Amino acid sequence: MAAKKSAAGSNRRAVIVGGVRTPFIRAFGPFTRLNTIDLGTKAVKGLIEKFPLPLKEIESVVWGGTILPGGVAVNIGREIVFDAGLPMEVESFTVVRACTTSILSATLAASMIERGDADVIIAGGSDSTSGVEVRMPPTLVHKAAPVVMSAKSTPSDYLKLLSKLRKDDIVPGRPSIRERTTGELMGESAEKMAARNEISREAQDAFALQSHLRAAKAISSGRFAQEVIPVETPDGETVYTDNIVRGDTTLEKLAKLKPAFAQGGTLTAGNSSSLTDGGAALLLMSEEKAKALGFKPLAAFKSWSYDAVDPWDQLLIGPAISMPRALAKAGMTGDDVDIVDIHEAFAAQVLCVLKALNSDAFARERLGLDKAVMKRDPEQINIHGGSVALGHPFAATGARMILTMANELALGNQQTALLGVCAGGALSAALVLEAV
Amino acid sequence: MPDYLLELSKNPAARNAVKKLNLPLPLPENLKRITGPWPEQPLAGLAVDVGHLPTAALAPFLAKALCSAGATVYASGSKSQFAHYQDSATAWGRIAKSVEADAKSTGYKPHGMIFDVTNAQSPEDLKAMYAFYNARLRSLASSGRVLICARPFEGAKDLGAAVASRAVEGFMRSVGKEIGKKGATAILLYVDEGAEERLIPVARFFLSHASAYVSGQPVRISNAVTPPQAFSNTRSLDGKSVLVTGAAQGIGRQIAIRLALEGARVICMDRPAEEKATAELARQIKGSALHLDITDKDAAKVMADHVAKHGRKLDALIHNAGVTRDKMLVNMDEQRWDMAMTINLMAVMETTDSLLPLMPADARIVCLSSIAGIAGNPGQTNYATSKAGIIGMVKALAPILSKKGICINAVAPGFIETRMTAAIPLATREAGRRLCSLGQGGLPEDVAQVVTFLSTPQASGITGEAIRICGQNFIGA
Repeated sequence: MAAKKSAAGSNRRAVIVGGVRTPFIRAFGPFTRLNTIDLGTKAVKGLIEKFPLPLKEIESVVWGGTILPGGVAVNIGREIVFDAGLPMEVESFTVVRACTTSILSATLAASMIERGDADVIIAGGSDSTSGVEVRMPPTLVHKAAPVVMSAKSTPSDYLKLLSKLRKDDIVPGRPSIRERTTGELMGESAEKMAARNEISREAQDAFALQSHLRAAKAISSGRFAQEVIPVETPDGETVYTDNIVRGDTTLEKLAKLKPAFAQGGTLTAGNSSSLTDGGAALLLMSEEKAKALGFKPLAAFKSWSYDAVDPWDQLLIGPAISMPRALAKAGMTGDDVDIVDIHEAFAAQVLCVLKALNSDAFARERLGLDKAVMKRDPEQINIHGGSVALGHPFAATGARMILTMANELALGNQQTALLGVCAGGALSAALVLEAV
Repeated sequence: MPDYLLELSKNPAARNAVKKLNLPLPLPENLKRITGPWPEQPLAGLAVDVGHLPTAALAPFLAKALCSAGATVYASGSKSQFAHYQDSATAWGRIAKSVEADAKSTGYKPHGMIFDVTNAQSPEDLKAMYAFYNARLRSLASSGRVLICARPFEGAKDLGAAVASRAVEGFMRSVGKEIGKKGATAILLYVDEGAEERLIPVARFFLSHASAYVSGQPVRISNAVTPPQAFSNTRSLDGKSVLVTGAAQGIGRQIAIRLALEGARVICMDRPAEEKATAELARQIKGSALHLDITDKDAAKVMADHVAKHGRKLDALIHNAGVTRDKMLVNMDEQRWDMAMTINLMAVMETTDSLLPLMPADARIVCLSSIAGIAGNPGQTNYATSKAGIIGMVKALAPILSKKGICINAVAPGFIETRMTAAIPLATREAGRRLCSLGQGGLPEDVAQVVTFLSTPQASGITGEAIRICGQNFIGA
């Protein structure tokens, strides 16, 4: 293992040298039998294949996941180290921060590098929504356990057990993304936000359409080819691209969908992000190390902000607080930022966040500023689409966004990118990346 | 002892029966109250109608108060006034709706109806206030709030303005009597020029369900005392030390509990005879107990030592301890007079004087008076003298203490359901309960809510006031 170096002053910058992601696949599809660890392993293996480096240079894997395989191995980062064939001396820890998880894993890794605790870290996140734990009713356990756990049970005992079981014992509880404090489905919270802020169904569908068309273009033009690695599934098939994106969708098709979260509501399956499986991994290094190993960095971390708001009021408005704060920490205003990327949990939520970001009153009352820090229209953000089109494996989305933005900064004349992500628990995160 | 009419009223079947059979029973409304700590958004999910005179000044401040409290605002007024509501509402994730001044409240049930009549030039301007409420008062929700804001008539620019300001009080009092049977209250806030910022937390309190038993009151908001740099609407008294006298039972106990709910460290003081109750209370609310009779020779010193022992200042002092020694004047012996006067008034003056050096800028003093002190009561010449004296002390000290940033106020409870009032004979007790707009007695926690609010940093606009907590009791009004 490379010896840990001590901090050489505060000039150390953490840079993103590269990254990959698996295709993002709708849950209960081809990736069903790959759990969160497997998807992470695929991403990490793909990363070191695409960005070859002596494996002993890797010091740490900082990983994230929200759907962790049944209490067996909760520090999935470490399991990924083993499964991906990394040296056993690579230490690892796993973080959970709902949908901002892999923003956090990346910035934690960046902090470690900037402080001089490490030079090379793999950071990322993965989630298998298909692998979500399905709870069997407790009554099943109560009836079955005495029979199943006893060594003396005979076949006739099992037959008796079967005859005692009722429908209510064997129908599993439906997993849902329900906020523990408020008891609301996330879609219900977003529906409330949409109603209060008067975000129309048409506006949401239009934004969803934009997301799909832009993502489809990025796929067909080969823009995502440098980011997405093919994945072989346990069934033997190889998956090459994201399968939720609909390049052929139209406003008419979206308008036909029924409201998903409330009677007469405005949120539908079409303008909300879907349950998805996927993983994404980033290779982070200190600038000197990247140079020494012959890598050309894509982007550097300039600033970030982690915040929380009231889950009862507007669960998903957090990015409107985090994004201005991250800008302030970077000493920038909204005019200075070239690209803006906001995670699309729901089209309605993005539009609410934009409304708040554009509002001088919001800046005055919630941020203590004189006026709005940045004004953007919906067309000016998410240049390659977002989670509504691509899907949202909870812990992988942050790394996906960082990956796409880092590549974008390396590609062109853009200098800075601002990312914003909302999360369950009324959390949020924002990140400013700069070109190197 | 319990209020049987109120108990009956809580039973929906009984209510229906009384209504159908047209029984002449005045069933009082079961008031909505806040039982836990004050929420961040006390008006979440509630609708509020707001109206303004064209020249009225308070739109920006009412907008902040309403929207940050989570209300959905239906505002009528000029374009520039509405813009304030639109701004604040957007900041808090809602859309403010624009309505006509004389429109009915259709499609929603307003919890609050506010009219800003500041800068009225003459009584003619009050017609807009009449039109606003005439159109919509019928739709006011039960346990709702009518709030009117005006400039004080003292110091008014001219006769017309002064007359209009004073006239509003009669309007407010009558409205209070009309809406009382819904459990709704009416409050008039007289806002001094330059005190508008201080209006915001006061409006929030009087619109929330914490002010359940205050009605028919004019309250003055002045700029005599500098507002705090920052304050929190939840856990407002975090890190503050508050001393409550007479904390073992009844109103004092509820005051201590409510103060602790808002984060204060409460010094619960009562006579040594109440040691068990005081100690238990202090343990329950994680405060400290002080077993001391306020009439002891060194009481003031012992109190000061207890406060200073924990290296703390005294952020608020609540004079709640008080006794009655009722007797018709001609039969009242010297001891009865002395006891009531000493405990209720002289000891209060003395201990306040001694504790003032320990009170920092931003400190608060609240004294319990009584409507007996305002209206008088047969058999209570001693009690009433002492309680009126409390009001005198508060009004005299307010301007002096305001220079130090300290606010001092009195509250005058009306008929509150306590051990003391349970001992009153039934007929008198019933009369006491029913002779108010809300048609019921108040609870000790209703007094505690107001006392606690007056102890917070954000009550800097209120000093020298005597606020009745009486449900708009007719006695002495």
